[in-house]
Amino acid sequence: MIQKELHDKRLLKEAEMAVTRMYTRRHFLMESAMGLGALALGSLLPGCGTGKGSNNKIAFDPAHPLAPRMPMFPGRAKSVIYLHMAGAPSQLELFDYKPALQQLDGQDCPPSLLEGKRFAFIRGVPKMLGPQAKFAQYGDSRAWVSEHLPHLSGVVDDISFLKGVTTDQFNHAPAQLLVHTGSPRLGRPSMGSWITYGLGTENQNLPGFVVLTSGGKFPDAGKSVWGSGFLPSVYQGVQCRSEGDPVLFIKDPEGMDRNLRKASIDAINKVNEEEYKEYNDPEILSRISQYEMAYKMQIAVPDVMNINDEPAYIQEMYGVQPGRACFANNVLLARKLVEKGVRFVQLFDWGWDSHGTDASLAIDIGMINKCRQVDKAVTALILDLKQRGLLDETLVVWGGEFGRTPMMENRDGKQNPFKGRDHHVDAFTIWMAGGGIKKGYTHGETDEIGYSAVSGKVTAFDIQATILNQLGFDHEKFTYDYQGRPFRLTDVGGKVIREIIA
Amino acid sequence: MIKHREVVKYLKNKKALLTIALAVVAVALFIYCTHEKPVDFNTEVKPIINKKCISCHGGVKRQGDFSLLFRSEALSQTKSGKYGIIPGDPDGSEMIRRLTLKDPEERMPYKHDPLSDAEIATLRKWVKQGAKWGDHWAYVAVKPVTVPDNDWGHNNIDRFIYQQLEEHGLQPSPEADKATLLRRVSLDLTGLPAPPGIAAAYLSGNGDKKAYEQLVDSLLASPHYGERWAAVWMDLARYADTKGYERDLTRPIWRYRDWLIRAYNADKPYDQFLVEQLAGDLLPDATDQQLIATAFHRNTMTNDEGGTDNEEYRTAAIIDRVNSTWEALLGTTFACVQCHSHPYDPFRHEEYYKFMAFFNNSRDEDTFDDYPLLRHFSSADSAQLKQVTAWLQQHGFADEAKTAYTFLKTWQPAINSIQADQFVNSELADTKWLTFRNHAQARLPHVNLEQVDQLIYRYSGYITGGAWNIRLDKPDGPLLASIPVKATRDRTISSIDLPPGKGVHDLYLSFQNAAIKDADVSAIQFDWFYFTRSLPGKGLPGYDNMRQAYWKLLTKTVPVTPIMMDNPADMQRSTHVFERGNWLVKGEEVQPDVPRSLNPLPKGAPRNRLGLAMWLTDPKNPLTARTMVNRLWEQVFGTGLVETLEDLGTQGAEATHRALLDDLSYRFMHNYHWSVKQLLKEMVMSATYRQSSVVSKELLEKDPANKYYARGPRVRLSAEQVRDQALCISGLMSPKMYGPSVMPWQPAGIWMSPWNGGDWVTSKGEDQYRRALYTYWKRTAPYPSMITFDGAGREVCTPRRIRTNTPLQALVTLNDSVYLDAARHFAFRMQQAAGGADVKQQISKGYELAMLKNITPGRLQALVTLYDTAYGQFKQDTSQTSKMTGSDQQHNNPETAALVVVANAMLNLDELITKN
Repeated sequence: MIQKELHDKRLLKEAEMAVTRMYTRRHFLMESAMGLGALALGSLLPGCGTGKGSNNKIAFDPAHPLAPRMPMFPGRAKSVIYLHMAGAPSQLELFDYKPALQQLDGQDCPPSLLEGKRFAFIRGVPKMLGPQAKFAQYGDSRAWVSEHLPHLSGVVDDISFLKGVTTDQFNHAPAQLLVHTGSPRLGRPSMGSWITYGLGTENQNLPGFVVLTSGGKFPDAGKSVWGSGFLPSVYQGVQCRSEGDPVLFIKDPEGMDRNLRKASIDAINKVNEEEYKEYNDPEILSRISQYEMAYKMQIAVPDVMNINDEPAYIQEMYGVQPGRACFANNVLLARKLVEKGVRFVQLFDWGWDSHGTDASLAIDIGMINKCRQVDKAVTALILDLKQRGLLDETLVVWGGEFGRTPMMENRDGKQNPFKGRDHHVDAFTIWMAGGGIKKGYTHGETDEIGYSAVSGKVTAFDIQATILNQLGFDHEKFTYDYQGRPFRLTDVGGKVIREIIA
Repeated sequence: MIKHREVVKYLKNKKALLTIALAVVAVALFIYCTHEKPVDFNTEVKPIINKKCISCHGGVKRQGDFSLLFRSEALSQTKSGKYGIIPGDPDGSEMIRRLTLKDPEERMPYKHDPLSDAEIATLRKWVKQGAKWGDHWAYVAVKPVTVPDNDWGHNNIDRFIYQQLEEHGLQPSPEADKATLLRRVSLDLTGLPAPPGIAAAYLSGNGDKKAYEQLVDSLLASPHYGERWAAVWMDLARYADTKGYERDLTRPIWRYRDWLIRAYNADKPYDQFLVEQLAGDLLPDATDQQLIATAFHRNTMTNDEGGTDNEEYRTAAIIDRVNSTWEALLGTTFACVQCHSHPYDPFRHEEYYKFMAFFNNSRDEDTFDDYPLLRHFSSADSAQLKQVTAWLQQHGFADEAKTAYTFLKTWQPAINSIQADQFVNSELADTKWLTFRNHAQARLPHVNLEQVDQLIYRYSGYITGGAWNIRLDKPDGPLLASIPVKATRDRTISSIDLPPGKGVHDLYLSFQNAAIKDADVSAIQFDWFYFTRSLPGKGLPGYDNMRQAYWKLLTKTVPVTPIMMDNPADMQRSTHVFERGNWLVKGEEVQPDVPRSLNPLPKGAPRNRLGLAMWLTDPKNPLTARTMVNRLWEQVFGTGLVETLEDLGTQGAEATHRALLDDLSYRFMHNYHWSVKQLLKEMVMSATYRQSSVVSKELLEKDPANKYYARGPRVRLSAEQVRDQALCISGLMSPKMYGPSVMPWQPAGIWMSPWNGGDWVTSKGEDQYRRALYTYWKRTAPYPSMITFDGAGREVCTPRRIRTNTPLQALVTLNDSVYLDAARHFAFRMQQAAGGADVKQQISKGYELAMLKNITPGRLQALVTLYDTAYGQFKQDTSQTSKMTGSDQQHNNPETAALVVVANAMLNLDELITKN
């Protein structure tokens, strides 16, 4: 308890410091560059910098939309790393061990499981498909993990598993939107956007909300899963890339070295100052500071995005492949980013849609390869955050957009060429670690074949509410007025999953 | 009155007496006021209700069966048996009693701070006076307004503006200098800096009073005017070149964008502009252009992700049409009425669905091909089409001529194969097309066979052999036809004669081929079925030619545009209330209608989209004109007269100049006859608009957001304008108008949609330098630099962009190759314009080209310093120069390289990306 209080206190202090830095910097800017003293200082400052941190309404200042802001109450987590396995990994081959399903392998699915259900591809009567993996229990928590995740099984005592996650969307794009924006339809802000809107950016030289993708494709719902919806577009996720420019347009044109860029920004701002003398419009001051920030960002982003500087043992621990766009690199980057004060890092890894329509999408071939690509890196992330003392304040979330059926997929009513499972809404597993989440805990259970959650049922809204809670926001009060009513991430649902909070 | 106030003041100072005093005052006020002027519901009562009561007693919740949303509801008996409001009897009204109780369990508002005594007094007085309801101003028809009596400025706008300036003790600013004004008005009207000819003529003029008006007229006449305003409308229409959702494949809908440009350039009256977009297909003898206009509502998304429910996404599209119509055209957020009555404004839950019923009978149903489509024939083909219909008409088949025309132009009204059900050994492949394996069977429900003797269908045959059969009513019912299957290369249209049919039937389709051994292989796939009467006139002279032409036109591959079209009488859908907004839970059936609280449907208006369009453009409609006037004002002045363009109602921002909004709206309809050009002209001709945007410290303190317009507008350019201006200044911009969207340079790796396979292939030649509105817009991966400058994603209607200011914007104009390219050409242009003169001259010329005025010494100094630094560096390391100047060796020297650096800086100046 004492430790928790200290932790909270430190977070609060840090947020206050960030606000002060912002204030001081801008003050300095005006004093030195303009010699304008206290002109309109009040209107330039972020709306809620008083350190009270209890405002429900977030003061949005279009001139300084990313100024750091206080949460509603001291949160346990400072930042979030959300690892989304796009396509939806099978819970039945990873965490949700169902020996009874093995008994039913190859038998016709009983009609009771099919009645009144809608599936994406299963038609008629499919066969049951037993677990395509060996399971064992690990750690003091005796958590079940399959052989496909040999590394992760070593850190289960840091993790809370949610085994009763459900959704009502059985197609990828809508289900991913539901997980990340609280609505299966397009147009709502993503979780990261809400959080950036609520907290601003701690490190002004880096975006507050960074997205990293791997697997060769974007998630099915496209950029909308990190879009800002009806929030100002400044809150959308900034995609950082391991190939090409790490952030779009961050690199100076060829032939323009840093020195020259500095000179050119100086010239731009000098002219802008001239203009300010004529027009007095404070927006011009804001433009000046944006150009300064852009310049600093040009140094900070490539720096943080460079994994070559990491010691060899760290690189080895994550299993990175420098110079390539891969999940392991992105996970290491995620750690570097939260270390530098980025609030929300969202990773999407594409290729988990194990229907069995080809080998890469087979539950016993392609999915094992996907596991190999993520297991080591994800485990390294937990260990690495821990050894840096960052796990307590970094919330790590791992999961997909829905689960997979205990039945073997029979697309269009015929046998698929490989073993696969269809999309499933009634049960899947998501896990969380760090950021004030219980260690070595499992919440929720499914029935004996892993078809439906029977206890500890949670939805995307509950997970969102919990993430917001860990960051210091009451999901019911954290709203934005749009279309004549206050909107929130969790729409009209959501309950903090108290059971998994430490 | 003074006495009262003094008493109040005195008492307020005496804290101890406060409670009693206020009560006394309240009573006093009450007595005093009962014979005073009536309480105004909208300005005095409604704000209290909205703030303190409505969240529990309104559209969403009706605690204790008491609602204050409508008068009829408020006056009815509550759950307790008491009456919340008894007009004329505040003491007998339960609501008033509950406001003043001490018991926290009973006192209202429940669990919140009590109302102030003044608020209670207002409510009492209002009940006493009869609890009259008032309509929010935005829902009352626009009436003529008396123009304030002052003589500032040039037109009505200025009189209204000046009146409020005076009230707030403010003075208007002087007129902006000519160059600034020229740039401002040109950017506002055409989205581009003024063309050199027009600019020179205006700047060199000798102060002729008419000069500015001539400038405005020539800008309004420019073809670029249409491009600039079409871009604004494209946000409302959620225009995009792709279908959205997961696969997000191309949709050929750019002809609609071109229609917008032409409509604006022709100054198509706004009422007609709306009628054609909402219901062009229902106009008598609709032209191709009127059909293309209806693509407005075909910009809704289509979901091609395998396994999705087509009806679910059809419904989502219909709901989007309702919401977009309200937000974009009626300045009202209607979306909340989808689940319950509007929490604040006078719209009932079922009224949402009545309104939806206008849209629910369009033919489109989330098919892969986006049917219905308008098929665009070449002029030769169009001539042949005319011959076909002329032949039919000449031979007395006028109705058949119409049917043939519609079918050839649209392939409608066909039954899409997604309507099939009861699958055996068959499936909707990718949930989009009925596909048969061996021994397949499926049902096509409710097919009208009345007077039908032919089936035309579109399909692909995969394996030759066997036959597919059509049976009536039952899987083993009477055989209607048995059709041998032939493998086809592509989708093919074919026909089969049927025995003359009668009535409506379920049709059972089946397929067998004894030669197929593999049970999993697909043999035939259907796209659509068209049950019809075969072409009449067999045996008459010219029949064979006509029939041949008919088939040629029918099967020809031609460009298409998705359009709106209604279901024929025998394919009508019924519309139901969705309980709590859930499309799977259907409530009572409803008929098309408009909300009761607004103007009724005009006399004689049909209950379809055309009637809806007539209602919307009826001058009695309180919202249509106001919404558009407000939008145009926002584009020109930076902020709307009501800031929330999407909501003029009680939850929107308060109007800063309501009388002005009404005056402009009234005259927009009645004097300007819905001419957008005339309305814009009035705005930019006003003295209000022409003011300098320089602000004093004092004014900034008094009016930081320029609410009262004591200075001219000053806002950052839109995403489109930032690009277009850079291309224009550098001389790169292609003036080419219209046509398919283009792909200017963008970084690699932006497009990565799963299951898509599309590539961004950079356009060649001048297509790289087209105006921003021609840029190919992919919903899931929009053009990055435009999104960074607050461009809308266009997934749904965006009634208003919120301008932000971020470092990522700086990175675009500093480093995006598009802007580097522009900087190079801008530098070349500077050198050319200065004709061999020194760098100072070159930079000065460049500034003049960009800003249309002379550079100040301070600015010049800063830019020359930058030049010197750059020149020094390039001189020392000449290996870097060509990187800066580009592949053209002619410019490969340190001087030019340094000037490119300066040009790059100039394209980033605040004054350049701002409308001053």
